[in-house]
Order: sequence, then structure tokens, then C-alpha cells
Amino acid sequence: MAQDKLLKIHNLHKSYGDLEIFKGLTLSMDRGDRLVIIGPSGGGKSTLLRIVMGLEDIVGGDIYMDGKPYILRDGAKTKIDRKLQARVGMVFQHYTLFPHLDILRNLTLAPVKTRGMSRAEAEEKAMGLLTRFGLDAKARAYPSQLSGGQKQRVAIARALMLDPDLLLFDEVTSALDPELVAEVEAVMMELAEAGMPMMIVTHDMHFARNIASRVVFAAGGVVVEDGPPEQVLDAPQVARTREFVERVFAKKR
Amino acid sequence: MSYDLQFFYVWQNLDKLGQGLVVSLELTGLANLIGLTLGFGVALLLRAKSALLRAPAAAMVEVFRCTPVLVQVVWFFYCVPILFNLFIDPMVMGVLALGVNLAAFNAEGYRAAIQSVPREQYDACAALGLTGWTRIRHVILPHALRAALPVLMTNGITIFQQSALVALVAIPDLMYAGKMLATETYRPIETYTVVAAIYFAISAPVSLIVQRIEARFDRVQA
Repeated sequence: MAQDKLLKIHNLHKSYGDLEIFKGLTLSMDRGDRLVIIGPSGGGKSTLLRIVMGLEDIVGGDIYMDGKPYILRDGAKTKIDRKLQARVGMVFQHYTLFPHLDILRNLTLAPVKTRGMSRAEAEEKAMGLLTRFGLDAKARAYPSQLSGGQKQRVAIARALMLDPDLLLFDEVTSALDPELVAEVEAVMMELAEAGMPMMIVTHDMHFARNIASRVVFAAGGVVVEDGPPEQVLDAPQVARTREFVERVFAKKR
Repeated sequence: MSYDLQFFYVWQNLDKLGQGLVVSLELTGLANLIGLTLGFGVALLLRAKSALLRAPAAAMVEVFRCTPVLVQVVWFFYCVPILFNLFIDPMVMGVLALGVNLAAFNAEGYRAAIQSVPREQYDACAALGLTGWTRIRHVILPHALRAALPVLMTNGITIFQQSALVALVAIPDLMYAGKMLATETYRPIETYTVVAAIYFAISAPVSLIVQRIEARFDRVQA
């Protein structure tokens, strides 16, 4: 058990109609890993996270968590182990807070309803997280009263309420005004330092370099290159990666 | 024009119009009770997976939306007793006619509102393990009901105005009281003006509230 990978994606196939997104993608991550996934747009980066979250059907392949089958293709159906799914958390590009609930209730709803946590216990934990992220003064505010950066930090706190073993970040700063990006990235860096396993899709290469323990370049439905950021971003081994990275960095300048 | 407006007789008989108004409000209240509950049930049927459930609900909505309310009221009054061989109190009949009509319109409002809940909210629920009834009760419904509120209120107050049609089948509502008063006093202009003013005085504030709510929702999109 000890050497079982936290997550192991094996020969993943996925398509939308005739459009093939993944053609046998294989990827695994350890408990200490912070994976940043880069690649051309439309290459299925977000889809990969959605699959790992259990939000999408797959066409073929299987995903294991801690060596246990998590997502499998079984005949015509995608089978998802709900117990293992509960150990994964996700933060979305557009925050997706519940607009009718205040911040505190946004955080406590799931633990109270799905984990049988008492209201008082959940609120204490929520206040702890909000304080840690500098949002305790907003506990009784509604999402519409918050800035994008604050909303996204709340969304991260909401995911943390369920103590995930793996946290997925799907372009969480893409919808933010530039001056609000830093506060969200700071929270993610803090989680990284605390050892939270993460899988991140981002367009911010600078941030990718800072937070990643491994960078995965996915294109054409498979993993093209996978290695430490110094390799994939600075000295890519595969021509296709080099081309992509050069293009992205050229655009920045 | 040399017509001499004389509101005196109307003021003198304002209590009669008041009694009519009470009946109109009763009709409206009870019709809304049916409209809000039955309408919700029909909306759920409209979203059912099985076509066997969906088809009759869709048929009902279309029938009521595509025929004049006046015809519906008259049909309820004259055809239901004959077809089903039962006589029901006219007031009950009026409530049923207006209520079922409102249910059809509200069902459409509810359905559109449920549809308007963004897909991302479902994703967020799935990521947090919120499923089944918990998801409906705590996320989807609150979301949808807020979206539906302006439509439901508009439909509800429209039924107050439509309720004037039941005067035709001798339910003593505001319009009926007005008709009686106009004949009695030979003062149709004054009487119907006052009657119209009463309908307006009740409807306009509701319409204003709806506008306020909509403006608020526009600001509050999270």
C-alpha cells in the first residue's frame, strides 16, 4: 500500500461525439506532487480535471486512487466509486459559490449535509479557514458582495472543508482581474507549502514554475512530456513541448 | 361634450364595490394557491424523463396558454357540469378555472427558472458530494425559486385582473358589483372609472415590487 500512487490514470480515452480528447492518456501522481498541466487550448486540460473529479463520463481506461479502482469503464457505463470521489475536491474558474447562501453557509452546507458534521463544529472549522485566508469579516456576507479574488478564496476554503486528499484547480485565476490574481495564488502557495496534493490547470507560466513539483505537457490526447518545471518549462526534451513553451513565452513578452 | 360627471352615487355605494373587491381578492388568493402548487407539480412533470409524464403536462400548458381565458372560464361553467354531470358552487368553479389557468402559466415560469440554474452549480454540488434531494432542496430550488419569483408574481397579479371575467358567469366580484351599480345608478362612466382605478391601485404596487426585485437580481448575479 505504501508505494501505491495517490492517483494513477491509465490509458484514458474520452471523446465528445466525434472529437477525440484523450487517446490513451497515462499519468500518475504521488502524495507529495503538485502537478501543473499545460498544453494547447482545446487539448482537454480542464476535461482531465473534470474526469478526475468524477464529473464526466469516460470512453475507456481506468483511474486508481491509492491503488483502489476509482473510475472505470464498465461496458457501456462509467463507474465511479463515490467514497473515493469524496476524497477529491475541486475549485472552478467561475467560483460557483451558492449565491443564495452567505459565506459561512457556503462552507458548512456540504460537511453538515454529507458528512454528518454538527452545525457548530462545521462553523468553527469554517471560521478557522476564513480567518486563515483573511476572510473572517466576510462570514455573513453574500457571494455577490465579494470581489472575484475573495470569492475564489472562499471557494478554496469551501473545498478544504471536506479535507480532500487531492485538490483540483481549474484555471482558478483566469476570470480574475490581474490585481486580484496574486491573493488567490498566495493561498494556493500556502496550501502547497502545507503539503496539499494538487492538480492545477493554469495559463500563468510564472506561477506554474513556482508552485509545480511536476509539469505535465499534454497535447494530442496524450502526455507528451512530464517532469520537473526546470525541465519542461526551461529545457524541454521533446520538440513539441519546446515549440509550445517558446510560443507561450514569446507571447508574454 | 356636455356630460356632467357625478361621482356622488358611486361614493354612496362604495361598500358594494368593496364587497365585490373582497370576492375578487378571494378568487385571486385561492387561484394563486392552486397556481403556485399545481404549477410546480406540472413543472416537475415537464422535466420528467418519461415522455408519458411529460406529454400530458405539456398538453395542459399549451391548451391553457393558447386559448382565451374568457373561453376557459365559460367552458368551465357551462361544459364541466354537463360533461361530468356535477354542479359545483360557482365560486369554486371560478377558483378552479382561474387556478388551473394560472398553474399552466406558472408551470412554464418554474420550468424556465429550473432550466436557468447554471450547469456550474450542478458541478459544484457534485464536487462537494451534494446529491439527490439535498442538492435539490438546498441549491437548485432556492436558486430556481428566486429566478421564478418575478414571473410568479406577475402571473399572480394578472390573474387578479383576469378574474374580472368571472363577472360574466354571475360571480359577485368587483366587476360584477360595478356592473350592477352602473345599471342601478345610470352612471356607467363614473362607476367603471372607479372600478378600473381600484384594479389599478391593487395591481400597480405589485408590478412595482416585481421591477424592484428584478433590478436587485440583476445586481446580485454571483
